[in-house]
Parts: sequence; structure tokens; C-alpha cells
Amino acid sequence: MENAGLLIVGHGSTVNADSSAPTWAHMRQIRRSGAFAEVQCAFWKEEPSLRDALLFFRGGTVRDVYVVPNFISEGYFTQTVIPREIELTGAVTERPGGQIWKYCEPVGSNERVTDLLLKRAREVAPGINPAETTLVIVAHGTELNDNSAVAAKREVQKIRERGLFAAVLNAYMEEPPLIADWAQLTSTPHVVVVPFFISDGLHSYEDIPVLLGMSQHVADGVFRQNPHQLHGRSLYYARAIGTEPEFANLIVEQALAFDAAHKLQSVA
Amino acid sequence: MTSEFEQTLEQFGWLIGEVAVLRSAAFELRHRDDQSRGGEELERFTADAADQIARFDDARNYRPLKTAPNLRHGWRIVCTSAADAEAAVEQLYPGRLAALRAWQRDELSTTALRQTLNRQTGMYRIASRVTDAALNELVGRFCRSDGGCLRTILWKRDGSGAAPSTLLPEAKFNPAYDQTNHGERAVPLLCQEACNLLVAAARAVAKGE
Repeated sequence: MENAGLLIVGHGSTVNADSSAPTWAHMRQIRRSGAFAEVQCAFWKEEPSLRDALLFFRGGTVRDVYVVPNFISEGYFTQTVIPREIELTGAVTERPGGQIWKYCEPVGSNERVTDLLLKRAREVAPGINPAETTLVIVAHGTELNDNSAVAAKREVQKIRERGLFAAVLNAYMEEPPLIADWAQLTSTPHVVVVPFFISDGLHSYEDIPVLLGMSQHVADGVFRQNPHQLHGRSLYYARAIGTEPEFANLIVEQALAFDAAHKLQSVA
Repeated sequence: MTSEFEQTLEQFGWLIGEVAVLRSAAFELRHRDDQSRGGEELERFTADAADQIARFDDARNYRPLKTAPNLRHGWRIVCTSAADAEAAVEQLYPGRLAALRAWQRDELSTTALRQTLNRQTGMYRIASRVTDAALNELVGRFCRSDGGCLRTILWKRDGSGAAPSTLLPEAKFNPAYDQTNHGERAVPLLCQEACNLLVAAARAVAKGE
């Protein structure tokens, strides 16, 4: 990919300092790998903005730009906001100078997300017996044109088929099955909860811990105090899946997968 | 060979926004106010960690706008090369060097505020309903260099070519002016289009919030 650029697109936030941090970290990791001639990130609600991204990759050596949304799923942002702001006309957009911008699937669509969810579950609850454990994947639910709930259901089904845990469940913050009902939804002595989000923030630091019944814990402490003894169970609570460093490799794979899916010759 | 980044500093001055670039054996970045302080007084960062400096102000409040005039003090970024220093500046003022280079090549297209607002969908669609008078007041308050944003505005209010706000001084639109008001030679932080924060503020005005 020596003549290719990579643009990682994140949502960002005007109130949450942690929202964009994983995207920046993934960008730096991919830059260090040297896999692309130029690696940039851009955000809807932070800087550099999506509009600023139109100014990147103008050094003259970049012929193809792969745009990878650092989003859990397709939805309003990947289908409406990102194409509009960076002026994409479809999967392939040719700029006036001849540069080609390729719009890839969001990182959450990568098949290996399933493995990362399992890796995260193992790391947060090392040494526990999976046969006595329920894995709960928690997503937001009920957001405008948001398919993250669909993606979370898909991941749960894939993990369930592997037969590793006593049970694997979906739960949501704002629609049933509610994460607040986790004690009723599960019956095993161990429960592992992994937030299906791109970044840590108010949802993973505060909202979900409160819904789980943790009253004293906020910010970083909530991840360091595993297991939490609640309702007579051992509850293990993980960081948002998108903070996993391996996500950087998934982003690169989304770019590689684009050419395979569209049967285009890579410039590498 | 002198890098493009060094050429930029030579041309405009070794200051960018609230950041000073010091040249000794290598490059060192500091807050402009901290230039004369002893290095041992300042917390040392690598270029890779520059986003941590940009993220919070002196009071540890999150900075949603990186070009706001509230960059924290008390740090220095020791860089190993011009590329390293450039990467640090890109994290302190994301996208601004790219805008400057496009402008220098006469390739920086600007987008009028009305065009930005009219393009919005979803929750921001209502922002297009803001009156010209309300926009004049909003931009005058939101984008002002003393307390709002240190960018130099290049966009217009609408297709008529009207200034974004009559409440802002002429200097706010002049790339040669040091928006920190120190009257020094500085790399301008060019603004080619209203940011999402201004769009969000216009939405709030439209909703009567």
C-alpha cells in the first residue's frame, strides 16, 4: 500500500474526552507500521473535521485513499453524514485530480470482532470456568437509524455457536433485554459484561456501571475492581471493545477487504 | 534539506496559535507563555502524546475546540526531528497545517456558513433556520479570538460575500494577523469552513435554547 492513504473516521464528542482517543491511538499504531504512505483520522464532532479530511493526502504520492469508519455498524453516520461531509458519491469516488477514494465497511463489520470480544472476556476474567459463566454483550439500542443492536445480535449468535460459555446474551441500555435486568437474565455464578462500543465514555464509565448496580464506582476504578460482587455473583466488567489495540489491525483489514470485495487492483 | 514544516515556520514565524516552536539541537514545543521557563519546570511529553496536552485546559476541563485560546501550560514536547514536531503540531491543532498548505497552493476552497448550515441533516437540519441577525451575533460571540477561537476566518456568511459577523474586527479575517493579539509573526490557523461546534451552536439558537 505504498501509494495508498488511510483515513480513519470517528464520531468524536464535544463533551467526552475519551471518545476520540482510541481512533488517535489506532492511527498512530498504523502510522508506525508503515503500511500506508499517509494515515490520517477525522471526526464528525472533533478536529480534524470530516471537511478538513478533504485537504489531506495531497502530497502527490497518494493515488488511492481508503476511508474506514471506526464505527461499530452501518447506520446514519456511515450512510449519510460521512459520505456527505467528505463528498463521496459511492463506494468509489474519483477526485478532480484523479485520486480515488474508496469507502470501506465500518470496522465493526470485520469478522474478527468476534475473536476480540472473546479475547476481552478472557482478559477481564482470567481463570474462571466458562461453563459457569454468562457472557453479556451490551449495546446502546434505540438510536436513530443505528444498526449497532443488529451487529451486537450477530456477534452474540456467533459466540453462542462456539459453545464456550454457559450462556451468551445481548443486553441494551434503552431497550429490552435491559442490562439493568442482568441478574434476572443470567443464572450462572460468573457474569462477564463487554460493552459493544467504539470508545469508553459516559456510557461505559458511568451509565452501564450504574445500570449494573455499582453505585460507588466511576471512571477508571470500575475496570480495576473486577470482580464486582453483586446479587451473589461475580461480575466482571470490561472496557469498550473498540479500545482493544488489535482494532488497528482490523481497520487495516477493512481497507484490504475493499479491493477484494470490489475486485479492484490494489496500488501496492 | 529543510522540511516543508521548517519552511513554513521560516516563512510565517516560529509560533503557531498558542504554541512556540523552539529550535536548538532538535525541536521543542511549548506554550508561548512558557518560552522563558526552565525546562525542568515543565512536564516533558513525546510528540506521540501531544493529544493529551490538547485534550484538557489548565483547569482539567475537556477542550472540544482545539483552536480555542485555552491551551494548557506547563509542558514541553521534545521532538527528535522536524517530522516529529510536525506530528505534534498536527495533534495540538488538528488539520490546520493541511489547510495552510492548501491555501499556500491556492487550492483551499472555502464554504459559506449558509451552505454549511443548509447541508445539515438529522438533528442539525433546524440550524438552517437561524436568521442573519442571529448568525451575526452568534459568530461574533462564538468565533472571537479573545475567548472563542484563534482561527482566521476565510469563509463568508453566504453567497452574497457578506462578512460572517460585523461584530468581529477586520483582523479576524487577515491571515497575517497574530490572533493571540501579541503582534508577533505566527503561523495562521486558517478556517475554511464553520466547525461542527458552530453548527451545533446555531442549532441551539434556532431551537431558542
